[in-house]
Amino acid sequence: MRPLTEPQDLRRSTGAKPPAGRPSPALDWIWKYLSDLPSPRILDCGPVWQATVDVLVRRRAKIHVTDLLTPLLFDEAQFWDRKGKVATFRQDYFLSQMLPMEPESLNAIFAWSLLDLVPRDVHAPLVEKWFSFLRPGGLLFCILREPRLEKGMDTLWWLESLTTLGSRGGEVRRFTYPVVTNREVENLAPEGSVKNFLTRSGRREVVVLRSDGSGR
Amino acid sequence: MWWEKKPRGNEAQDAGHASAAAVPPAGLDKPSDLAARNGEMPTVNSDQTVVGRSTILSGELSGKGDLLIEGQFQGTVNLPENCVTVGSGGEVKAELHARHVIVHGAVTGNISAGEKIEIRKTGHVVGDLVSAAIAIEDGAFFKGSIDIVRDRPLQERAAVASRAVGSES
Repeated sequence: MRPLTEPQDLRRSTGAKPPAGRPSPALDWIWKYLSDLPSPRILDCGPVWQATVDVLVRRRAKIHVTDLLTPLLFDEAQFWDRKGKVATFRQDYFLSQMLPMEPESLNAIFAWSLLDLVPRDVHAPLVEKWFSFLRPGGLLFCILREPRLEKGMDTLWWLESLTTLGSRGGEVRRFTYPVVTNREVENLAPEGSVKNFLTRSGRREVVVLRSDGSGR
Repeated sequence: MWWEKKPRGNEAQDAGHASAAAVPPAGLDKPSDLAARNGEMPTVNSDQTVVGRSTILSGELSGKGDLLIEGQFQGTVNLPENCVTVGSGGEVKAELHARHVIVHGAVTGNISAGEKIEIRKTGHVVGDLVSAAIAIEDGAFFKGSIDIVRDRPLQERAAVASRAVGSES
């Protein structure tokens, strides 16, 4: 299995106090935006963490998990067809790994750093699939690297609380693909709106809202 | 325990002895073997039915008594008052309904538990979980939905989950 460490174990191994988590401006915005929903339906595209499950359960969220991140990070070969002269990313196979969801059934999708980990030509079909799952007014939460950040491809995040992020890894592996620009994100969701939240971690948090049809 | 469907082929002999787990018959692993092989794996007690590593079973399993699956099982397990453990060598394609479910191996199918579902670090689960409490160790693989419900009877919750899954597929 993947060489991951549970958040609680990570804290014990460092001998330090449990980290409070890094405040996330995007999460702060997201939970205010979803505040009128008693039980939001959320799809987590990262590995399942007990801490995240606990936080979302306390928020009374309905949780769906389809881990696309760790297969990309630790078992990437399965997604590449190397029979030809040039290796090609098996896009259809990758998209088929997604949990089958009812159309327009989700309030939020936590995509974490997935857009930083897949080839450019996969972005459009991936976001299109995510948007098909989102209800009008639903949102996509991404964490994207800034140009100055060269390493950290293998960073994994979880929710320490509704508005703080825990993370581990990310000190060794270099990013494979160029930085995803704000313009590229806007082009992926022409009918949605994009909110960027700057952080000091070398990453920006991005929330892409699916249009709710009201034109706002 | 009783079997609603007959086990396939020469597995019938193992299945016929499955309820007498105090002294496992030929074909079923000894409790000591299980414990040694699996390290942190749960111990086998005298009230526990063991589906051994070399056993392949299909059908519907219900009754009373805990269950440890180290082999392959396909069908339905309905033990609402007991604990079902899928050992690290277990491969289960089934709906699991129990009081407490612990997964070290692979499960494809929905799981509902009145008390708790635990997916240990070697666990691999594809299916929907319905329980009052859920514990998932890091390193475990899970794909599906999580539904923590405390205010409705388990059977009702499981039925709702099954309907939801049916409508999604």
